[in-house]
Amino acid sequence: MTTAADQRTGPRWQPGVLGVPGAGGKVTCLLCPHACVLAEGQVGACGVRRNRGGVLETSTHAVTVVHLTNIERKPFYHVRPGSRVLTIAGPGCTFRCRYCINYSLSQYGQDDEVPWRAQAADPAEIVRRAVEEDAGIGMSYTEPGLAIELAVDIARLAEPAGVKLLWKSNGFLTRKAVKHIAGHLHAVNIDVKAADEEAHQRLTGAGLAPVLRAIELLRDAGVWVEVSTPLVPGTASEPGQLARIASTLAAIDPAMPWHLVRFTPEYRMRDCAPTAPRLLEEGRRIGFTAGLRYVYVERALGEQGRATCCPACGTTVVARGVWSTHSVLLDDEGHCPGCAHPIPGRWK
Amino acid sequence: MTTAAADRGAPDRVYVDEVPDLIEPDEYGDHPEGDLVRLRISVTETGVEVLGDALRPATLEAVLRAVAPGPVEQMLCG
Repeated sequence: MTTAADQRTGPRWQPGVLGVPGAGGKVTCLLCPHACVLAEGQVGACGVRRNRGGVLETSTHAVTVVHLTNIERKPFYHVRPGSRVLTIAGPGCTFRCRYCINYSLSQYGQDDEVPWRAQAADPAEIVRRAVEEDAGIGMSYTEPGLAIELAVDIARLAEPAGVKLLWKSNGFLTRKAVKHIAGHLHAVNIDVKAADEEAHQRLTGAGLAPVLRAIELLRDAGVWVEVSTPLVPGTASEPGQLARIASTLAAIDPAMPWHLVRFTPEYRMRDCAPTAPRLLEEGRRIGFTAGLRYVYVERALGEQGRATCCPACGTTVVARGVWSTHSVLLDDEGHCPGCAHPIPGRWK
Repeated sequence: MTTAAADRGAPDRVYVDEVPDLIEPDEYGDHPEGDLVRLRISVTETGVEVLGDALRPATLEAVLRAVAPGPVEQMLCG
């Protein structure tokens, strides 16, 4: 937990990766597709990377929270059900979503009213605690891509200890960033927040195409990918949006899990109503109609919305509570006990 | 979200691993505008704890800050 003294200290900057020096002392940051070209002293659109003396620096070798939570909360439903994740978060995000529930952390650097709340990260201590708790390490709540240096430092210590690294990400990463991190990642849950560029840009301030490309690149690199879509008014909750998102995902892989997330009125969208359960139910139907085999709603539709069912015989192979797992009937390789149909995931 | 006894100089909010739910999913449909707020007030060894749940986090935070001066504890999404 951060103290008032830590907050007064403010960010500590250190060299970052994926900076390309250019003419006149400028540096281009190739971490995210914003590809900010930074003059001396200039801070990027994210608010947590800057050019100092022709060197790209980051302030995200830092954590604001360290929480031990169930893996179902990330959410991951096809990754080691019932396990726990030591979840850390640094400051900042490459998006500026108007509905963000975590805005008091994620919008540091973009919203002047959000203070610095982090303290220097200790990768060895994070890994030690994950080993002690038999937990994976998750980077969530804010955009983990912005803390790619910290992620690699943690992974290098975690991998020999058998600890897996997981991200909850907006997926707004360059090819170079994906290449830099993919070999260290076990699984990623990526938000797909809209069906088209205009809607995605309006909601997040960033493009959709790089997100879809990152999903494919990460999958190609062997990283397990699940997708979440929040039903934000004016975006994914509008007629036709979910069907197009579902079709896009099904074209990538119909076995990729899709989580439909209830919108909560917060930050700059407090005048909207929360998502009605019937819209989540309709969204689930839309997903299955598009060909997706695993479509989930965490709370609003009860146990049926959280269950993993075999697409071949209908057997419930993983039964879940709210943010927990009740039972896993799959064998170690992920086969259905009823018909031996393989259910994809990282089950062990 | 919860709020506890006042602690001079403490941060305005603290992020915690978990806060119990006071609203069940089958209640969502009864409150389409999200105007449900539920509170549980307990006397603890260190003072009075107010636990809250709401469909609109900002409404709940306003209530908690009005009834007690301590830092607000809240969960994060994801």
